[in-house]
Amino acid sequence: MSLISTNYDAGSFFDEMFEPDGKTVRPHYRRLAERLTTLPAADFNQRRAAVDLAFLRRGVTFTVYNDSEGTERIFPFDLIPRIIPSREWAKLEAGLIQRITALNLFLHDLYHGQKILKDKIVPAALILGAKHFRREFMNFNVPRDIYVHICGTDLIRDHAGNYLVLEDNLRCPSGASYMLENRVAMRRAFPNLFSSYGVRPVETYGDALLKSLLYLAPDRTDKPNVVLLTPGVYNSAYFEHTFLARQMGIPIVEGRDLVVRDSKVYMRTTAGLVQVDVIYRRIDDDFLDPTVFRADSMLGVPGLVGAARAGHVALANSIGTGVADDKVIYAYVPKIIKYYLGEEPILANVNTYLAAEPLDRKYILENISKLVVKSANEAGGYGMLIGPASTKAECESFRAQVAANPRNFIAQDPIALSRSPTYCDGELQGRHIDLRPYILYGKKITVTPGGLTRVALRKGSLVVNSSQGGGSKDTWVLQGDE
Amino acid sequence: MHLSILHRTTFTYAGKAHDSFNEVRLRPIDDAFQKCVSFDLRLEPTATPQDYSDFYGNTIHYFDIAEGHTKLIVEAQSLVETTPNDDRPSVPSVSSSDLEHSAEREMFAEFYTSSHYVPLEVELWREAQDALCDGRADVWNEVCRLGRHIYRTFAYKPKTTGVSTRANDALKLRMGVCQDFAHVHLGLCRSLGIPARYVSGYFFNTTRRPREIEASHAWIEAYVPGFGWAAFDPTHDRPADDRYVKVAVGRDYADIRPINGTYRGAPTRSLKVDVKVRQTNGRLVPA
Amino acid sequence: MLSRVAHSLYWMSRYIERAENIARLLEVNLQFLLDFQGLNDASLKDHWDSIILSTGEEKLFAEHYKTATSRTVTEFLAFDLRNPGSILACVFAARENARMIRDQISAEMWETINELHLYLKSQNTTDVWAGGPHEFFARIKQASHLFQGLTGATYSRSEGWEFIQFGKYIERADKTTRILDVKYHILLPNASDVGGAVDTAQWQAVLRSASALEAYRRAHVSAILPWKAAEFLIFSDSFPRSLHYCVAQIDDFLRRILSETGARPKSDAARAARRLLADLQSLSIAEIIDQGLHEFLQQVQTTLDTIGEEVVQTTMFYPAESSAEEQQQQ
Repeated sequence: MSLISTNYDAGSFFDEMFEPDGKTVRPHYRRLAERLTTLPAADFNQRRAAVDLAFLRRGVTFTVYNDSEGTERIFPFDLIPRIIPSREWAKLEAGLIQRITALNLFLHDLYHGQKILKDKIVPAALILGAKHFRREFMNFNVPRDIYVHICGTDLIRDHAGNYLVLEDNLRCPSGASYMLENRVAMRRAFPNLFSSYGVRPVETYGDALLKSLLYLAPDRTDKPNVVLLTPGVYNSAYFEHTFLARQMGIPIVEGRDLVVRDSKVYMRTTAGLVQVDVIYRRIDDDFLDPTVFRADSMLGVPGLVGAARAGHVALANSIGTGVADDKVIYAYVPKIIKYYLGEEPILANVNTYLAAEPLDRKYILENISKLVVKSANEAGGYGMLIGPASTKAECESFRAQVAANPRNFIAQDPIALSRSPTYCDGELQGRHIDLRPYILYGKKITVTPGGLTRVALRKGSLVVNSSQGGGSKDTWVLQGDE
Repeated sequence: MHLSILHRTTFTYAGKAHDSFNEVRLRPIDDAFQKCVSFDLRLEPTATPQDYSDFYGNTIHYFDIAEGHTKLIVEAQSLVETTPNDDRPSVPSVSSSDLEHSAEREMFAEFYTSSHYVPLEVELWREAQDALCDGRADVWNEVCRLGRHIYRTFAYKPKTTGVSTRANDALKLRMGVCQDFAHVHLGLCRSLGIPARYVSGYFFNTTRRPREIEASHAWIEAYVPGFGWAAFDPTHDRPADDRYVKVAVGRDYADIRPINGTYRGAPTRSLKVDVKVRQTNGRLVPA
Repeated sequence: MLSRVAHSLYWMSRYIERAENIARLLEVNLQFLLDFQGLNDASLKDHWDSIILSTGEEKLFAEHYKTATSRTVTEFLAFDLRNPGSILACVFAARENARMIRDQISAEMWETINELHLYLKSQNTTDVWAGGPHEFFARIKQASHLFQGLTGATYSRSEGWEFIQFGKYIERADKTTRILDVKYHILLPNASDVGGAVDTAQWQAVLRSASALEAYRRAHVSAILPWKAAEFLIFSDSFPRSLHYCVAQIDDFLRRILSETGARPKSDAARAARRLLADLQSLSIAEIIDQGLHEFLQQVQTTLDTIGEEVVQTTMFYPAESSAEEQQQQ
């Protein structure tokens, strides 16, 4: 009994593997389909179990904190890869590079001349009222003029298969470690299939990341000291922090391991103080430096911002990038691309209504049960209403929130997210997915071929986040088109 | 007017403090009505401060002291020249609707929306409506009347509020010090959509109220199109004049904290603030 | 390596060693009293008092318990979280430190500590008494040995290894002095009792506490001679729990940690360790007894404390969190 059943339901969604008839396999999935047809279900299950066990032993986990004791969970992994032909990827890559170039220029402008506000392309009120607009950082000069060194942009596909940008993550995007671990798992589970396909490697991510960090180092020495700053063991992404630090061969430190002397940053080691040149920080701005930001932060380093200001240490990502991944600013990104680059956006946004705009607000309040409504500053799928899937009471509650604080909300028409065959209860069923490629901005901008494909494991669910029942798949970008 | 200002803050620790990192906003600004002739920052233990300009144009000095110390003294001395009252233009009469439609108002959005110390809750809006029940007029007129309203109906009482008291709490108590008066005044102006900002500085007091501490002072500035930022002091019910020295502006106290920082070691045993504002003929008054 | 990581490795190691040693102390003494039916009530009480005295926690014990009996002492030393030196408190602390540096130690090392922690949480004094205390203490010793073995097998011989070993031997040396001190605190027998059954049994218990009985018998005659046991536990350079052996290890790891390569030690800690080692290489048991065994042991404890403290300050220091400055109202 093979996994590919004869009655695969592609539904009314764009299916990654099958044409709408549920039977015809798309060219770039043919080899996979052939392999799955000849693979007995028991064999498949064996490989699945082996992968799960490997993840458990390697500790590929994330922590869910809903009580004082965190529970560690394996991020569920589905063995069916998501495959992208090379010509599709070329367009995505160009679009992502264009987008991050424009966003970087936008950030520079916001923290310097603010021309885009004076030219009224983006309403000043939106920026000034943005939670992550860091006034303390105004007129700050950042190394190489790069604000966003690491970006994770979430992409989805609509019912016609068009790729759309769902959101940018410019602060501390996570998931790259899963991308790397998933690839290791797939190589082990399907070695022959993998090599027959010609999949572009992702293993270079660690090297590329380290290179882009080294690019920022001040001119102190030819062996700059790069460290990863983590909030510590209690952070849900701690596994990823240690994983990436090990991949790059750099020390992982917490706030209390660092001390600032004379506007220079040092690590406390058993051999004394060792100077730090570049910090890959996985701590949010708010907690970075109690002297400048939140005074109650135990995670940060007093004087760190002063050291960055003096040019003695570089921070990746830079302070203040959150203003550009605000969900409301998102709606303006196409205009931002046009303003700085004079080009039409290669990748389109999802059509968005802004509650801050009176006409849009009216539409949102009147049609809330048909829309997906998002709070501007929440992450991880929280602070979101999926109108068509919610009760009347839930819609009412959200409507009141939007009316009270319109600047904080946007709404979008529900997109029929694409689906990918996923192993569910012994057979392949379609589940909704998205894609998070990772873009690194160093001397050159590089997009790691692939990224993290997240899948909503619950039937009919559109929520892909790990903390709410999501899982992931390996993403294969092919050298060729099939 | 030539004014000499001394602002000394002394932190005494119950034991030793070390790894002290600080930012101070103590240098008076330069603007159309004020010039900072000289500014000197003395630190004990000694440290060399660096400085930068923040988003609002305030000057921030920052320094750190690594070694153990039982006391930290931050002493700022400035000489300031303020433009005489007669040379200051009067504030024009601008209607609220002109303000609402003015091109620049958009750029001051943060000054008519909620901030940390001034959350725009409905009580502030009601208070503003009550205060202006006699009728609406032009922007500046309303700002002054709102200020007067606070002056008349609030009690100036030290030690009833704290440094973290917000505008809505001070409104319930109907008393406080100039920081609270300023926050409430901001709340009233902002509820009506008037961009208004917090001003921290000093005031040369020719008529001191009983029990009035000599400390740094707080008042507000409201935006009037065609004029700019017009200052009003709700604690004394009058527009700010040549006796006022501006040090920093922001949305509220959180943006202008005279001294803030962190340190490691023993807790603070006492905090002492000495402020002296004196008229001078160009010489620094001895500390 | 990061000071904080060294700190956690050091204390993880010390706490596990500490837990094991307390388990030994309790087990042997319980066994001793079972063996010896002939002791009257007063001697029993003295015996248990002496155990508490040797831990240095007599004041804390008196705050919470009326008299020293086998039950109360077991409770205090095994399960009482108010006693930072209880087995439970030590294992909790070891686990916390291990957790902070989990990515530095092998999965097996972590699992061993974690399992011991879970086991202890599930027990209490009544369970221990019902199930037989021997099982309980055996379990703890086994976990400690397993942990040390795994560390030996899976931890790279790097800077981290030096801190783990240094911590272990500092703790072990300290606990050996306390095991010896128990005998001191039991009232010295008068002349007719020296060499008598009780005296001999007490020395045997001391050797058993250090798992040294067999090694002693191989080194000496099978009869337990007074003071010979003390001599063995202080001066033997081959028995891994003896003071001499431990201090030799401490001296070696200390020099590596502080990068002291010269023949003459530079730091105070290295000097103190070297002097202590020299004493242990050259003094005789008669000289120590003349000076007073208890006084000698106390001095050793103080020296070990000083050495440990200096190394912590020099290499493992990472200060506590910051406080915010008070604000001034306007």
